[in-house]
Amino acid sequence: MSKLYSSRRGFMAQSAVWAAAFAGVGASGIRSARADRSGELNILCWEGYNSAQVLDPFRSSTGATVKAESLTNDPTMINRLRAGEINVWDLINVNNPWARRVMWPEGLIRAIDRATFEPYFNSMLPAFKPPYKWAMDDAGEVMLGMCQRFGPYSFVVNTDKVSREAAEDQGWNLWNDPANEGKYGVLESDDWNVFNICCIAGFDPFKVHSDDEVAAFGETAKHVFKGAKVVGDIATMNQALVSGEIDFHMTGGTYSASPARADGATNIRGVTPKSGPMEGGKGGISWIEVTSVVNNPDVSPRAEEFLKYVQDAEVAHTVAFAEGTFNPVAQMGNPACFGLFTAEELDAIQWDSLEEEMARSVEYDIVPDYDKLLDLMTAAKREA
Amino acid sequence: MAAGSRAPGPRFALPVLGLLLVGFAAPLLAVIGYSFMPERTFGLWQEPTLDNYASVFSGTSYISFLWSLALASATVTVLALVCYPIAYGLARVFGRWSPLITLLFTIPLFVSENVRLYGWVLFFIKGGVLLGTLKSVFGIEIESWLFTRGIILLGMVYVYLPFMLFPMTLGVAMVPHETSEAAADLGASRWQVFREVELPLSMPGIVIGFLLTFVLAVGAIVEAKVLGGQQIIPITHDIEIAFTYAQNWPLGAALAVLLMVVVGVLVIGVLRRFDLDAVLGRR
Repeated sequence: MSKLYSSRRGFMAQSAVWAAAFAGVGASGIRSARADRSGELNILCWEGYNSAQVLDPFRSSTGATVKAESLTNDPTMINRLRAGEINVWDLINVNNPWARRVMWPEGLIRAIDRATFEPYFNSMLPAFKPPYKWAMDDAGEVMLGMCQRFGPYSFVVNTDKVSREAAEDQGWNLWNDPANEGKYGVLESDDWNVFNICCIAGFDPFKVHSDDEVAAFGETAKHVFKGAKVVGDIATMNQALVSGEIDFHMTGGTYSASPARADGATNIRGVTPKSGPMEGGKGGISWIEVTSVVNNPDVSPRAEEFLKYVQDAEVAHTVAFAEGTFNPVAQMGNPACFGLFTAEELDAIQWDSLEEEMARSVEYDIVPDYDKLLDLMTAAKREA
Repeated sequence: MAAGSRAPGPRFALPVLGLLLVGFAAPLLAVIGYSFMPERTFGLWQEPTLDNYASVFSGTSYISFLWSLALASATVTVLALVCYPIAYGLARVFGRWSPLITLLFTIPLFVSENVRLYGWVLFFIKGGVLLGTLKSVFGIEIESWLFTRGIILLGMVYVYLPFMLFPMTLGVAMVPHETSEAAADLGASRWQVFREVELPLSMPGIVIGFLLTFVLAVGAIVEAKVLGGQQIIPITHDIEIAFTYAQNWPLGAALAVLLMVVVGVLVIGVLRRFDLDAVLGRR
C-alpha cells in the first residue's frame, strides 16, 4: 500500500500535462479559468444527491447551475479526481475513510471551516457527537467534510427463507454452509465483497493479513463465487430475492434492501451478524458518507453553501428518501427532521434495529492489502 | 489549375484531421502508453515496463479472453443461421411487407440495451412472464434459466441480430435475379443455385455482417452481467474492474491493448481471406 501511496503522491505532479490535455479540456467547457463561479456548482456523488428533489430547491434559491454526477463506487470517484478532474468538481461525496485516509493526505480535498460546520454535528444523532472522527483529519484538528447518510451494510436475507434470528446467529458462516450453494447472490460491489470474504474466512478485513490468511482468502473467494447463483447490481439482487431465485445475498444492508422494503417487500431485510472476526468480536460493517470540498483551484463559493443547505431538516429528509436507495441520515437526531419520517419510511430503513445494528458493526475502513486481495477475488470470479 | 484545386482539399481536411488526432488517436495512444506504466500508478511519464503484460500472461485473464471470443464466435454462428433466411425473405419473399418487418426489427434499437435485457430478466425470472405463466396456467414448474451461460448467448443473439441482419439483407438484395434464373435455366438444382450463385454473390453483406457482429460481440459486457448473473467474466468486465475497483489503470490498459490486438488480427485475417473490394466488384 505504501508503494501505491507513494506513486499516488507523485501522480499530481506527473500527470499535470495529461490533466490539462484531457480533463482540462472538459473543464474548460464548463468554465473559463478563474471565472466567477458563484453561478455554478459541480458535485461528484453517490446517487441521491444528484436527484432533482434535492437539487432543484438549491438551484431556485441560488440561481446557480448545479451539475451532479452519480457513481456507485468510491475508488472510481477518487480516480476521477486523480485523473485531473480536481479542476472540475467542487464537492465529492464518498464513504467515511476516503476523506481522512486518502483524499486529505493526497491534497484532493480542502478543509472546511470548523467553527462554521462543527455546530451542525451537535444536532445529529448521538453517534455523530463532535469532534466526529470521520469528519476530521488524523490529528483531529482539521475538518474535512460533513456527514449525512449512513447505515449498516453486511448482508440481506429473505426472512421467509432464512429467519432474521438464524441469520444473525449464523452470520458469515451462512456462506460456509455447503447446503447454501446456489441459494445466494453476491452484490457487484467488489470493495465490500473483499471485506465480506475476509469475514467469511474468519479474520478481520481491516488489517495487514498474513500469508496464511491471504491463502485462506483466495480459497474462500473461490467457494463463495462458485456457489453464487448470481452476481449483480442492487436491482438484480432485490428482484432475485423477491422472486425466490435466491434466499440471501452479500453485500447488503439498509442501503440495498430499502428500495424493496419501501415497495412493500418487508420480508427483504438487511441483517447484521451478532458476532464476527472484527474488533470487539463485531460481525457487521457500516458506512458513513462524508461530503468534502474538492481542492479545486477555482472552487465554487456555492460548495460550502450546499453543505449547509443539506443540513436543513426537510432537505435531509429528502436526501434520505431521494431516488435510488433510502437511508438513515445523521440529521434524524434533530426532532424536526425525525418528525418528517412516516412509519412506512422508518420501516423501509429498518429504524427499529438501526441502533443495535450500528453497535454490532465496525466502521468501513481502508484494507491495507486491498490490492492483493482484490486481485485474488477477481481471479476467483473468473475461475468460478 | 490542377495544383490549385488540390490545395484546398488538405487545407479543409485539417479540422477533421485535428479532430481525429485528438478524439481518436490521442486516447488510443494514452491507453497504449498506460499499458507500459508500472502497475497501479496513474502517471504516464514513468519508466516503461512490460510487467502488466507479464501479469496478464501469467494470470488467468486468458479465461476471460476465451469466453469473450467463444461467445462472440457462437453469436456470429447462430446469427448467420438465423438471419440468412430472414434476410432472404426480406429481399425476395415478403414483398410489400418487407418495410414493415424491417421496421419491427429496427424499433428495439431505439430502446436502451439495458432496458431490453432487463425485460428478458422479467421474462425468464422465477415467477416471471414465462415460468409464472407455465406454473399458473399449466401447473408446470421448471427450474429458472436465468443466470446461466446459455442465456448469455441468447441475450447476445438478441442484441446483435440487427447488426447481422441488415448487412446480410443488403448482400442478398445485391444478387441479380437474372443470375439465379440463368442458373436454373441451365439445369442447376435449387440447392446448387443457392450454394453456387446466391451465397457467393451475397458474400459482401454476409462478411460485413460477420465482422460487425463479431467486433461488437467481443466487446459485450451487459449480457453476461444482467442475464448471466456474472456466471462468466468476459474480458471487457476484467478491463472495467481494473479501471474501477482495482485502481489499476496500467493493467486495464494492457488488457485493452491485447483485446484490440486479438480482434485486429482476427479481423485483418478475415479481410485478407475475403477481399471486400474484390467481392464488391471494385476491381
